[in-house]
Amino acid sequence: MNLTLGIFVIILLITLGITYWAARRTRTTSDFYAADSQLTAAQNGFALAGDWCSAAAFLGFTGLTALYGMDGALYALGPLVAFCTVLFMIAEPMRNTGKYTLGDVIRGRMQTRTSLLAAIVGTVVVNFAYLMPQMAGAGVLVRLLTGISYDWAVILVGVSMIVYVAFGGMLATTWVQIVKAALMLTAGAIILMMILSLVHFNPLTLFADAEQKYTAKYLLPGNYLKNPFDQISLGLGYTLGLAGLPHVMTRFYTVPDAKTARRSVVWVMFLAGAFFAGTTAFGLAAANYVGQDVIRAADQGGNLTLPLLAQYLGGGKDSLGGNLMLGFVAAVAVATILAVVSALTLSTSGAIAHDFYVNWVKRGHVDGKHEVWIARIAAVVIGVLAIALGILAQGVNVAVLVILAICIAASANFPVLILSLFWRRFNTGGVVGGMTVGLISSVVLAMIGPAMRGADALWPLVNPTVVSLPLGFLGAVLGTLISRRDADNEKRFDEFLLQVHTGVAPG
Amino acid sequence: MARNRTSLKDAHASVKELIAEKVQYLVPMTIIFIVCYIGLTVFAGFAKDLMGMRIVGSVNLGFALIALNYLLSWVLAIVYGRIAAGKFDPLAARAAMEISGRGILR
Repeated sequence: MNLTLGIFVIILLITLGITYWAARRTRTTSDFYAADSQLTAAQNGFALAGDWCSAAAFLGFTGLTALYGMDGALYALGPLVAFCTVLFMIAEPMRNTGKYTLGDVIRGRMQTRTSLLAAIVGTVVVNFAYLMPQMAGAGVLVRLLTGISYDWAVILVGVSMIVYVAFGGMLATTWVQIVKAALMLTAGAIILMMILSLVHFNPLTLFADAEQKYTAKYLLPGNYLKNPFDQISLGLGYTLGLAGLPHVMTRFYTVPDAKTARRSVVWVMFLAGAFFAGTTAFGLAAANYVGQDVIRAADQGGNLTLPLLAQYLGGGKDSLGGNLMLGFVAAVAVATILAVVSALTLSTSGAIAHDFYVNWVKRGHVDGKHEVWIARIAAVVIGVLAIALGILAQGVNVAVLVILAICIAASANFPVLILSLFWRRFNTGGVVGGMTVGLISSVVLAMIGPAMRGADALWPLVNPTVVSLPLGFLGAVLGTLISRRDADNEKRFDEFLLQVHTGVAPG
Repeated sequence: MARNRTSLKDAHASVKELIAEKVQYLVPMTIIFIVCYIGLTVFAGFAKDLMGMRIVGSVNLGFALIALNYLLSWVLAIVYGRIAAGKFDPLAARAAMEISGRGILR
């Protein structure tokens, strides 16, 4: 296990070096929030892959496939398909209308303080719901992999993330994500090659062996998600939830124009998509060669499947190759968490410093230099809060929060964002209605569902998106129709459309 | 000033044209991926036996459809990139020039 710690320390030193380099280049607000919008499509594509593949993707999909067969493969496909929505409807308009945050887009469209406040709430709630389980996951994972205690693991991860974000802003966060994505893809490619050579380059063998070992039922859907509507909720949550996750969407501000934003999505679809497809092969191979019993013995949820598989492929438990592979994969898993929590902290600091303090409290009357400092301080405060929440969350069932984050993103942020971009009549009442109904229905349904209450659940679905998403849209539409028609807003929509589609604001 | 107003009018017309183009391509493409993917999850939920139908060796229909969905997403991404570069970008560039008031060479 000390080998893991060693590799992890090397990764940490590299990322801190990057942060030092980035900090010297981070002076203006645009540097801090958007890396001065100077990234290339390939760079942003890698960073998006680093951002979007959380530990749940890196470790979870492999584990789910190993333990539950096809449901794991379905889980892994969703996050790729999600980028179709982003590519067709969101990436370019985001780049064209916003500056640093999701709040910028809503504020630009509505020009009201209430709508900005609604966007801030949507961002902060989703980000914290996502951040808390990541911190708790970091604690468990780092403890399992390196042997240091849960609390110290959370503190180590939290302090690193604060350093990256507060000093290096978006530039450091981006490069941490790029390094992590490159490491992740390298690890994936090595593991895939080893598996393929093991089955003599015939992937069908993986399925045949799995069927022989665990019967044909293992390769059927429904082993993990028993309720059919949960399958659909999962699909909807992914396809539309990604487009409502502020920490991923703000990545489109780091490129100079809509064309580059578009190309970066194509990049991430191939990079992350290839990795997601790989996890299905990893999972089957792990079930075949490591065995479900060993996987369950190491961790009930299957989260250690990929490290165990790497160890097996490297030569087994007591071999140097096996431990090197285990250490490498484990260290990449920790780097994965670091990259994701940094993005969440940065995006939350944008909502607090840029949207709330500068644009809401001070109505935009803050000079750039001052704003950078506010943002840095916000990042530190958010980071400390995240550490505290992570420590408090030890032993609490945080799985529900992961579902909740994506569910709220799909049910509250997505309807508001998409209607802001494409519906003329949509107004501040609609923003408030969509945000409120989407948020409340997601939280309430998740809380009374089986993820939180187990057998006493008052309603059957773990993931409520299939109901809360239509409710969110309904809230947005009703809110719009109930509140008085906003003639100025509707007239302004034509000019907003010019900006959405060209990136140039009529001046 | 008058010229500026005219070119802004042109810009609105160009963007209207651009939106029509986008709708023409994006609506079918969106329907395709939503139907294929959500359809897959509906099948996974309600048609488990069908998903277990063998296709090649031990690979069943479910895994084959999952693989097809990967391919579809990648194909759509490339197709969208092509269409956007070929059809949307020129219109957007023209509109952008009209907005900045420089007009276009006629």
